[in-house]
Amino acid sequence: MLKGHLDMIVLAALAAGPAHGYAVIEEIKRKSRDAFDLPEGTIYPALHRLEGAGLLASRWVTAESGRRRRVYQLTRRGERALAERRAVWQRFSDAIGGLLDGTRSWKKPA
Amino acid sequence: MISDYADALAEKLAFDRRLARRVRQEVEDHLRDAVAADPAGDTPQAAQRAIAAFGDPQDVARQFAADALAHQSRGAAAAVILVIGGIFVAMKARLGWYALTHWTVSDETRALSGVVGMLDRYAFWLALVLGTAGWVYIIACATPARFHAGCRRESSRIFRLCAAATAMLVAAVVADGVLTALRLGDTAVSASFLVPLLSMTAEIAGAGVVLCRLLGMTRRMAAAAALLEI
Repeated sequence: MLKGHLDMIVLAALAAGPAHGYAVIEEIKRKSRDAFDLPEGTIYPALHRLEGAGLLASRWVTAESGRRRRVYQLTRRGERALAERRAVWQRFSDAIGGLLDGTRSWKKPA
Repeated sequence: MISDYADALAEKLAFDRRLARRVRQEVEDHLRDAVAADPAGDTPQAAQRAIAAFGDPQDVARQFAADALAHQSRGAAAAVILVIGGIFVAMKARLGWYALTHWTVSDETRALSGVVGMLDRYAFWLALVLGTAGWVYIIACATPARFHAGCRRESSRIFRLCAAATAMLVAAVVADGVLTALRLGDTAVSASFLVPLLSMTAEIAGAGVVLCRLLGMTRRMAAAAALLEI
């Protein structure tokens, strides 16, 4: 289900503001109401890939606990990419919704 | 337990040491957050759950490897194209200088210069064709989500194209070196030697950069190939 949509999900999780990897995963779980059974380690390659593509920027910060953590945030390009993907997804979702709403249950001929 | 897991993942990311260091720190931080959020608190069971939720380090490393190798291949092919462009400029600058200073080839070396010059041209244009083919191939290949055998084959093809382009590039630089030596050998040392010598230095440095890139690509490909074992 997630294949091909992970980048959009990560971008959407960062739409609220900068966050580190663990917080991104928590945000995905919260917003999706735990709908995705996602190995948490999958998020980091996606974060790095999106950063390499210029859609995210990252920096080290020191947390209150004294641990250094990498915080990611959307770049302007990332914001534009998210808006585009949202629009595409909305069109797709509307189209599928329309199709499913108009589907009658198929009956096997006697 | 968490440190051991982070070390194991970093070890599997040996194809890119800088990436391995960064990911190790990020993953350790992530796992400590997960343990802190676990109702059981800082216990071995909580650490075990955090690690299980994170996933198999081999699988995580394969996801990083796909992107890292694609990035490395793009960098190597871009270096080949840029250095070809740079060598072309250096060659033209040198020839322009020869024309400006009326620096001609002596009759004794004219025949040899003609043959080496022809080899130089063929090697250069062949390098350009192979380098462009490598670049086009990279653009045509989509980066997969995980490093797999097919991905390895694609990387090998790109490497072979870049290596062949580099071999031709090195041949062109060697031929340029011979041509330059033939011209300089016929003339007494003077300040006008500076332009040919500098342009040749730039060409050799450019070829060296490409060779270093290819060596780096070989090392990364070998380390990433280890992820396909088991």
